[in-house]
Amino acid sequence: MITQEKYRTRVKELLASNSVKMVIGYKQGSTADRRRPLFVRSFEEADELVLDSNCIGNLAGYLVTEGLLSDEKRVGIFLRPEGIRSINILAAESQLNPEQIIIFGFDTSGREVKALQGEQAEDFSGLIDSLKEKPPEKSSDALLYRIDQMNTEERFAFWKDEFSRCIKCYACRQACPMCYCRRCIVDSNQPQWINTSSHTLGNFEWNIVRAFHLAGRCVGCGNCDRACPVNIPLRFINARMAQEVFESFDHYAGTSQTQEPVLASFNKDDSETFIL
Amino acid sequence: MAKIGVFICHCGENIASKVDCTKLAAAIGEHPGVEVSVEYKYFCSDPGQESVKKAIRDNNLTGIVIAACSPRMHEATFRKACAEAGLNPYLCEIANIREQCSWVHTDKDMATEKAMDITRSMIEKVKRNNKLQPIEVPVTRRALVIGGGIAGIQAALDIANAGQEVVLVEREPSLGGHMAQLSETFPTLDCSQCIMTPRMVEAAQHPKIRLLTYAEVEHVDGYIGNFKVRIRMKSRYVDIDTCTGCGDCMTKCPVKKIPNEFDCGLGKRTAIYTPFAQSVPNIPVIDKTSCIYFKNGKCKTCMKSCQINAINFDIKDEFIELEVGAIVVATGFQVQNTAGYGEYGYGKYPDVITGLQFERLASASGPTAGKILRSSDGKVPETVVFIQCAGSRDPSKGVRYCSKICCMYTAKHAMLYSHKVHGGKTHIFYMDIRAAGKGYDEFTRRAIEEDEASYLRGRVSKVWEENGKLMVRGVDTLLGKPVVIEADMVVLATAMVPQPNAKEFAKIIGIAYDEYGYYNEAHLKLRPVESSTAGVFLAGACQSPKDIPDSVAQASASASKVLALFSKEKLEREPVVAATNEITCAGCWGCVLACPYNAIEKKDIFDRSGRLVKRVASVNPGLCQGCGTCVTFCRSNSIDLAGFTEKQIFAEVMGL
Ligand SMILES: Cc1cc2nc3c(=O)[nH]c(=O)nc-3n(C[C@H](O)[C@H](O)[C@H](O)COP(=O)(O)OP(=O)(O)OC[C@H]3O[C@@H](n4cnc5c(N)ncnc54)[C@H](O)[C@@H]3O)c2cc1C
Ligand code: SF4
Ligand code: SF4
Ligand code: SF4
Ligand code: SF4
Repeated sequence: MITQEKYRTRVKELLASNSVKMVIGYKQGSTADRRRPLFVRSFEEADELVLDSNCIGNLAGYLVTEGLLSDEKRVGIFLRPEGIRSINILAAESQLNPEQIIIFGFDTSGREVKALQGEQAEDFSGLIDSLKEKPPEKSSDALLYRIDQMNTEERFAFWKDEFSRCIKCYACRQACPMCYCRRCIVDSNQPQWINTSSHTLGNFEWNIVRAFHLAGRCVGCGNCDRACPVNIPLRFINARMAQEVFESFDHYAGTSQTQEPVLASFNKDDSETFIL
Repeated sequence: MAKIGVFICHCGENIASKVDCTKLAAAIGEHPGVEVSVEYKYFCSDPGQESVKKAIRDNNLTGIVIAACSPRMHEATFRKACAEAGLNPYLCEIANIREQCSWVHTDKDMATEKAMDITRSMIEKVKRNNKLQPIEVPVTRRALVIGGGIAGIQAALDIANAGQEVVLVEREPSLGGHMAQLSETFPTLDCSQCIMTPRMVEAAQHPKIRLLTYAEVEHVDGYIGNFKVRIRMKSRYVDIDTCTGCGDCMTKCPVKKIPNEFDCGLGKRTAIYTPFAQSVPNIPVIDKTSCIYFKNGKCKTCMKSCQINAINFDIKDEFIELEVGAIVVATGFQVQNTAGYGEYGYGKYPDVITGLQFERLASASGPTAGKILRSSDGKVPETVVFIQCAGSRDPSKGVRYCSKICCMYTAKHAMLYSHKVHGGKTHIFYMDIRAAGKGYDEFTRRAIEEDEASYLRGRVSKVWEENGKLMVRGVDTLLGKPVVIEADMVVLATAMVPQPNAKEFAKIIGIAYDEYGYYNEAHLKLRPVESSTAGVFLAGACQSPKDIPDSVAQASASASKVLALFSKEKLEREPVVAATNEITCAGCWGCVLACPYNAIEKKDIFDRSGRLVKRVASVNPGLCQGCGTCVTFCRSNSIDLAGFTEKQIFAEVMGL
């Protein structure tokens, strides 16, 4: 409550001084524990801002809405640490200028909402580095633990079963801040690399492509997972890819605005001789 | 409507023995869009090519598939035939039914089935091929030759004598490389320096050659015809333009006990030095690591001794940026570090030496003025044991190959020794005598018959010292008996290995190398002097162990390749280049980073009122090498490669 009040005041200050043109935050949703995005342009709207432990969605994706930042004016946004990491990725991939983004950082440890120190993405680098040092424990999630214990066949069967429910609504893609392409590869039909119909092959193609495209980029915000209407535990696929790139390349997505994308960069000292 | 011609080659028996070509031709004839499907014994032959051309003309074919060997072999051949028949050469595809089918299968029925699949998939691709036009790029007519050994000098002279500009870069203070260190050379025993020094001088004085010694290539950018290179001129602390090479500084320098690299540590040099008396250019350098001034700020004796003030301790490294059209890499080799041979006692016993050290002893300009003397006591050795293949052909020491020159130089050493030390005895342990080459076998026979070298077929297991003698224990496999020889000197024919920085240097230039670090040719048999990168050629021992005649021959071959390149004002390049789709590009710049040739640039797109609408990726077709890396990276599928478009590849895959 204290943090919420503090931030409401700060939002008003920034709007009053014309330091931001808009602030993206949360407001009351359709049920008591749901929150929906709020786009604050006025003091009245600022009073609708809600900040509590139910504010879990990653709002960063709204920043890359076409045209929003092209006037070079600043925009404020409420973000958890994962959200701040996604700002770094979007900056590293030239989708936004991080100086235009004023961050209202917060974290929810337990039921309490805690404000994070800093206003610009780079102010949080210490925090992000410390997150990299201690990755979440695998055993902390019962399902993830179970998946981890499976052998290859069991895991394949598990995902085949899960993917069989996918209806190709692409809600997961729309919800992900990293899925900003104007035309997604699934929408390209000359040729149609990825089958559009929701059969086993098509569903596998889509979900595996999604996993690859997010390897080294997913920040684990869970937007995709929550968006999926048929409850496929998508975050675990991405978590697995994140673990792979971390172990192979010491890459933790979103540590800085200059981080090179793990699948696009190469090192001339690589031990593989095919890298010239 | 597609009218595709399919030409199925027997390749003599190579394909026909494993693939039923008649059945294949009949089945392919049924495939939609196929107008002609025929077989023949050798389509690459003259009548074969003529029949392809005739079929194209007679049937107005819109594309052809040659089902034959790998496209690396004959794609160019058939594309040319297409062009001659009036069909765009990029409407020709090769279905590889030899390397990828007949050569690797035993069951004829199954191989035939597979050949059908391969051929069908290429038919589906060629139906979607586009007419492409070669790209023209300008050529900078200036060559860069890296390495001033015999190979580099030869290449530079050949190019310069044909009237083209050359920049010759040598990282040591003098030209010469290994050949300058040799005494006399097999198989004619002419004095190495006597034939080498005039070449060095000629290169240095040639009006078309710009010689940069004590210099290193640090960066290479660009592509065939248009390379940009950055060269570091290491500071000599001596002004090249004023120094007359009188050598006063060297006589005065108080640091006199530095092992001389040129003499392989057998002689000594000062801190300001030239590697050898005939150095080209004859201008000294200061070795910073041994110079007293650079250690504690006092001395400058050399500076005081120089009458014309050519020495300046403040000279800094300089950088030169150059544009060149072709590069010849002639960076040579080194002899293997023998420290790993504890059993031979190298490093432990001063009279166990390498072949290169023996060259210095035998050389008239060497530390002993050409006398064969022991480093331990300065005495003339009465018995010398030579150990061949000390390192070569020894997988346990990491060298599986034959160094090619050691049999010959060991025979030479035995000869030189017997000419210099009358009554001296030589024993040579060998695995095989490999003396293939003009006059080579005669040469080794002469060592045996006239100079009484005693060859023992077998390996040496140990060398140790006993009562002032070097005891060599080996086995004579022809007699089947172990032998122990008392020797005064042991000479190891150490392996030739790549330069220590060969792999890193390859990365700077962007050429491929093998597991050892020798530079790879584009094709071992058919393109032995081209590297895998267009416009970069190889000469000498940097590609594989070579003797002088081979190094010189390859250098001249490289020079002729360079000259052929320079004979045109514009260069035609394969139009296989990438292009981005600016509408769908998301501007993530992943491709910019992924491109190994820095061929992708950022491009701003403005609307009519000049407002920035978006920023996208844009490929520079002059730089793009068509590797396809960017295509595989782009998440939004916004890059396509001409000749290998997504549509074509998709059709090819679906055709299987
Ligand atoms: C003991 C011994 C005896 C031999 N005897 C004979 C013989 O009798 N007859 C015969 O035909 N052959 C003989 N050879 C072989 C002969 O030495 C080689 O064939 C020849 O030297 C190869 O010439 P090269 O120019 O390729 O290499 P090198 O002579 O090694 O020259 C390479 C040059 O490139 C320079 N360089 C290297 N890297 C760089 C860089 N990055 N930038 C700039 N410059 C660079 C080096 O400093 C050097 O000057 C003998 C070899 C040995 C070891
Ligand atoms: S893939 Fe899912 S969890 Fe990962 S960043 Fe995108 S929305 Fe968040
Ligand atoms: S949100 Fe779920 S159902 Fe929709 S496409 Fe993604 S995985 Fe499939
Ligand atoms: S990778 Fe694709 S989307 Fe990204 S900049 Fe390159 S072409 Fe555009
Ligand atoms: S194909 Fe793409 S990655 Fe390869 S050289 Fe061309 S632009 Fe660069």
